[in-house]
Amino acid sequence: MKTIERVRNSTIGRSFFRTPNRVTERDRAAGHWSNFLLHLYPVKVRKIELTFKYTAFLGVASIALFGSLLVSGIFLMFFYVPSPANAYGDIQAIQTEVIFGQYLRNVHRWSAHLMVLAVAAHMARVFYRGAYKPPKEVNWVIGVVLLVLTLLLSFTGYLLPWDQLAYWAVTVGTAMAAYVPLIGDQVQQLLLGGSTVGSATLLRFYVLHVAVLPVALIAVVTAHIWRWRKDSMLTMDADPGGADA
Amino acid sequence: MSEISRRSFLSAAWKVGFGLMAAAGAVTTLGLLKPQLAAGFAAIVRTIAPNEVPEAGVLEVPEARGYLVNVDGEEVLALSETCPHLGCRVPFIDENNRFECPCHGSKFTREGDYVEGPAPRGMDAYATEIVDGVIEIHTTEVTPGPPPGTERT
Amino acid sequence: MLDNNPRIIGDQRLLGVVPGKPGVGDRQEPAAEDKVMVFPHLLIRHAVAVLFVLLVVMLIALFFNAPLRELANPMVTPNPEKAPWYFAALQELLAHFHPLVAGVLVPGAIIMGLVALPYVDRNPSLDPRKRQIARAAFTVFMVLWIALTLIGFMFRGENWSWVWPWEEWHGEL
Ligand code: HEM
Ligand code: FES
Repeated sequence: MKTIERVRNSTIGRSFFRTPNRVTERDRAAGHWSNFLLHLYPVKVRKIELTFKYTAFLGVASIALFGSLLVSGIFLMFFYVPSPANAYGDIQAIQTEVIFGQYLRNVHRWSAHLMVLAVAAHMARVFYRGAYKPPKEVNWVIGVVLLVLTLLLSFTGYLLPWDQLAYWAVTVGTAMAAYVPLIGDQVQQLLLGGSTVGSATLLRFYVLHVAVLPVALIAVVTAHIWRWRKDSMLTMDADPGGADA
Repeated sequence: MSEISRRSFLSAAWKVGFGLMAAAGAVTTLGLLKPQLAAGFAAIVRTIAPNEVPEAGVLEVPEARGYLVNVDGEEVLALSETCPHLGCRVPFIDENNRFECPCHGSKFTREGDYVEGPAPRGMDAYATEIVDGVIEIHTTEVTPGPPPGTERT
Repeated sequence: MLDNNPRIIGDQRLLGVVPGKPGVGDRQEPAAEDKVMVFPHLLIRHAVAVLFVLLVVMLIALFFNAPLRELANPMVTPNPEKAPWYFAALQELLAHFHPLVAGVLVPGAIIMGLVALPYVDRNPSLDPRKRQIARAAFTVFMVLWIALTLIGFMFRGENWSWVWPWEEWHGEL
């Protein structure tokens, strides 16, 4: 602890942590403003937010799972080429030849499933707590966008191993798009990059899965948390803080 | 024209500018991502003589992703094996003498007419032509299957 | 109330003033004694939650391997063909209704319904007893959706016929 204090109070430390000691509440509040990650948090929250039953920490769990997916996904990208000739063999090689490859693939796959669960449970918790009510409507809508993005990320990732499960699930999933009135056929072809699931589809899903959708998700999650911070102190006249949930 | 003040003109101009930019971006994206459609597999598949197609069961033609069905000894149908529901491959089940889709359980007669299940129509058919006594399947010319309750004519 | 000389308290400047009452509706700030500092009280709980989640992922990943079926083959559709579990409810609906209904209208209506929820449910109360209709509607939807998911995931076998999961297992993750 002494060493940490010393580092924090050194010239370099002070250039980095603008508020070296966080003893008083005022210092801690100031610390929020000078730290990028912390500034997404409010300075103060209502006491009830500390209890488990209020949020079940499911929003936080979703973020943790997304972090786990980012890290494990980047590792997988080093060993995976998105083409029908390579994809399946690459996955096999990851499992059998790459050290810790099987473990990382497991982490990625199970985190993805758990994230869908966590996000859905988070939505249910927010609903039962009534936390979508004014002035939090917009954050609920942002949340729905996040739910859709999460499902799209899972679904685009599902094609990448190029196994039977992947191929046919995507065949059926994209065929559904064709039933959208008027523009259905175009939407389907845009997704497939052709008339059937093939190399163009794999490449498209890959680009969506590793670039477009994660970047979109990060941007929207940031807005979601920022909105949460802005609204976290507001309660309703009818039910003064604490009586809800 | 003098009604429009400099301020309101400028304020409209930048909005229109952004709108045009967005439209240009959308058009570019769509054009870029729209697939250049080429037939997914061999466009014309040469098969066998009509009288060689078995009178019972069906004959699978993997290159055309389809089946040849001898309807009544002379007329031969080329059915696409892609389910008209959501695109699974529909196998022919010999015991029941009909097509049964594994994905959501749509069933079709041997001639590809709709029997039951969620498919919106019967199985699609390819155009065929007899060239030098041999059936040629045109896999790019697909006729949608007949609606439920009707038969292919 | 604009103050041209920023007030200095201790060594901190007062940078801004926020309205005591938020602009939206009739909300109010909670009483002072109802607030706690995020640092460290909430942060430490979030840190523990993150650690717990990562531990669960690690344990699952150590003991269960992610599935990998045979190489994709356009000539053979597996029987049964299973969507990922989070779409199993949709797949179950697709087996019963026209694809325009099950594949487009139902999912579209669910998403639009969720988006519209805070604008439709204008009842301000947070008391569970005073929002029974909203809670009942949401619960019915969730129960239906979970039931459909479980049916599509576990109770469907070859040709999408009914099976008992303890007799034949066809779930795919
Ligand atoms: C990628 C998915 C998501 C992530 C990472 C995420 C993350 C979070 C976090 C960290 C919080 C604050 C703490 C908490 O309540 O646990 C939060 C609050 C909230 N979330 Fe989400 N969320 C996601 C999806 C959703 C969805 C699908 C909905 C609903 C449709 C939603 C609606 C809300 C609302 C309304 C709040 C405010 C709750 C309050 O202020 O009391 N979120 N979210
Ligand atoms: S794809 Fe054949 S029944 Fe759905």
